[in-house]
Amino acid sequence: MAKTILIVDDSDSIREVVKFTLENEGYNVLVGVDGKDALKHLNGQPIDLVITDLHMPEMDGIELIKKIRVTPGYERIPILFLTTESQAAKKMEAKEAGATGWIIKPFVPAKLLAAINKVIR
Amino acid sequence: MDSFRKKFIEEATELIDKLEVALLDLEKNPEDETLVQQVFRIMHTLKGNSAMFGFELIDNFTHNLETIYDQIRNNELELSKPILDVTFACVDHLKSMLDEQNYNDPDFKTIHSGLVEKIDAIINPQKPEGKVESNSKPEAKGVTSTYYILFEPNADIFKNGTNPLYLLDELCSLGDYKVFAHFNRVPQIAEINPDECYTYWEVLLATDKDESVIHDVFIFVESDSTLEIQKLGEENLVADQTFIKEVENLAEVQKDVGLVAIQRLAKVAISNINKRKAEKFTKERIAVKDKTASSIRVSSDKLDTLMNLVSELVTTQARLSLFSEQNNIPGLNPIVENVQKLTRQLRDIAFSIVLIPIENLFGRFQRLVRDLSAELNKDVEFIVEGADTELDKTIIENLSDPLMHILRNSMDHGIEEARVRIANGKPAKGKIVLKAFYSGASVIIQVIDDGAGIDPEMIHAKAISKGLVLPDKKMSKKEILDLIFLPGFSTAKKVTDVSGRGVGMDVVRKKIYDIRGEVEVDSEKGIGTTITIKLPLTLSIIDGLLVSINKSPYVVPLSAIDKIYAVEKDKIYNTFNNLITLDGSQIPFFSLRKEFDLEPSNEELEQVIVVNFEDESVGLVVDYVIGEYQAVLKPLGKHYKNHDIFSGATILGDGTVALVMDTNKIIKMFAIGNKE
Repeated sequence: MAKTILIVDDSDSIREVVKFTLENEGYNVLVGVDGKDALKHLNGQPIDLVITDLHMPEMDGIELIKKIRVTPGYERIPILFLTTESQAAKKMEAKEAGATGWIIKPFVPAKLLAAINKVIR
Repeated sequence: MDSFRKKFIEEATELIDKLEVALLDLEKNPEDETLVQQVFRIMHTLKGNSAMFGFELIDNFTHNLETIYDQIRNNELELSKPILDVTFACVDHLKSMLDEQNYNDPDFKTIHSGLVEKIDAIINPQKPEGKVESNSKPEAKGVTSTYYILFEPNADIFKNGTNPLYLLDELCSLGDYKVFAHFNRVPQIAEINPDECYTYWEVLLATDKDESVIHDVFIFVESDSTLEIQKLGEENLVADQTFIKEVENLAEVQKDVGLVAIQRLAKVAISNINKRKAEKFTKERIAVKDKTASSIRVSSDKLDTLMNLVSELVTTQARLSLFSEQNNIPGLNPIVENVQKLTRQLRDIAFSIVLIPIENLFGRFQRLVRDLSAELNKDVEFIVEGADTELDKTIIENLSDPLMHILRNSMDHGIEEARVRIANGKPAKGKIVLKAFYSGASVIIQVIDDGAGIDPEMIHAKAISKGLVLPDKKMSKKEILDLIFLPGFSTAKKVTDVSGRGVGMDVVRKKIYDIRGEVEVDSEKGIGTTITIKLPLTLSIIDGLLVSINKSPYVVPLSAIDKIYAVEKDKIYNTFNNLITLDGSQIPFFSLRKEFDLEPSNEELEQVIVVNFEDESVGLVVDYVIGEYQAVLKPLGKHYKNHDIFSGATILGDGTVALVMDTNKIIKMFAIGNKE
């Protein structure tokens, strides 16, 4: 069965290109424009991976990760966050919040898929 | 893809607008560091986004532009009006870059390359024309190293959604691997908490990737696990069966192997591998050495000098031998014998140095035949045999022209046109074989074609018409064929481009004689022609037999000699037909005393030297046989040039000169003399 990936980002273009890349690879893709918007998908449906940006209006990435880790049924799902090279300090913060790993922006599709392959099969 | 390209362009336009505003602010407040940061950040975002969406041109362009502001914020560069001017120009250019339709416009290209140059000049003021080097790093080192990796995840590794097995999978995809999973920390089943990880792994990985690539595998978990990565050596130890076996045994006995134990085993394994490598290396080195030894290049001047010196040494050694014989000095004889032996060895080696394979020459002929095939429109198969046969380089150099001529003849007169060949029941494709081989102390070179052959009657008639022979003279086929070597004889009906360049077979024969060779022709009409060239291996020194006739010394080449008999004088002088019975067979002979117009000797016994002459044995009678002699051939002076029954002269130990006989020519000359 196709794995389901939830992508959360406030940039239209990033969402679009990530969605396009993942759907091309045969994943089901759910999208959220920010943390708050993303939570609506945690309705009991199976989600295999969450990819989230860190800076977002309404609810940022760190808060979203924390929320996911306490939502029944989603406590152990892998979460990758999108970051830039200059945000090293954020990495630890996100990890402590419960993130599995990260993807450094900007990325090419191959790099994105390699990171996903590290956490789901 | 188009929909989010559009979105990117929207976002990029916003970014560029923001950049413009920030730059205008910066121009007013050049000391404001936050504005510099802002400009840099916008450029960085623009660069990142364009890379993601495939706008490579913007990516590359912004990369260098961004570097300027990176240097400014790091105080490596001072913001100046020229820099701002360039940046504003770049902003305008970036706007036009968002429309890819502009990319092929010549004006666009001019602006683009102009700006790129200006940016480069700002980044690298010391080399304004220099291009910024690509920042691509070499990815693989190409050298396979073996790493020991201990991966011991924290018990709560699953909490964040990490699956350690995926990481191991990724690790193993890097190269050759051997994984040891350890379960010794797994508690009793009742105590197991399924949310915790009890397993840890030791991995041996042989990879040509950098150590940082291994670290990257564990990048997400490095802070939540014990990770040890140690290079064991620059070898593929995983491929070393002995080493792996030992580690496996250790893993069975111990609960885990541990780095220290593995390092100890690895050390042994590496030293074994190195030993094997060293052996191989030494072998290769020796092989290389052998190869170089066989191909040292020496100038031919040096070789000529060497040959001259060896010749002198041979002569001097002969004098020494003679001196020792004449003066019975105790203890001298063994020394003389030793010097003789060494001289002979030295001579042989000096000989072999100047010998080169004839293939150097044959290669040229392949080309000649190919070109002639096209020119004459004759399809010819050219076969070369024995190209590795070695000959004195001087001989080879002098052989080129005669052989070239013979091959031309074969192509032009020998091989018939395809339709003639088919009509005569031959394959349409002609065949020429160039063959070289050793025959005793000689080298034989043959050019064999399967062409029209030579018609003896035609040759004979032609020779008569040219006044070269008398019409009523009876001649054997061989004698007739030999006529083609006479000066002024040409078999070609008309002069063609290929042969008939005013050079006849007479010139060929003369050139071969010059290098002490002989040439013969054999042909069967309609079947083909064979030209045989017989050459001495070398020119300058020969093994000879020193004989004397009427107290004068002569040298007979040892290579020609078959046997020597002592025969009573009466048997020699009392025959009429010049035949003598030796070992039950009749052998024709010549008394050299008689042929040289000397009185018969007073000795009771004469020496008959039996030599090979054209597959027959012929006896040459001399007074005495003195013994074997290494003769250094010296050419006869120009006054003796026509005495070609002697191929040269040699100087004996006591300084006297001995003539070196050319037995073939002697026999030929005396045979004709006796007939007439």
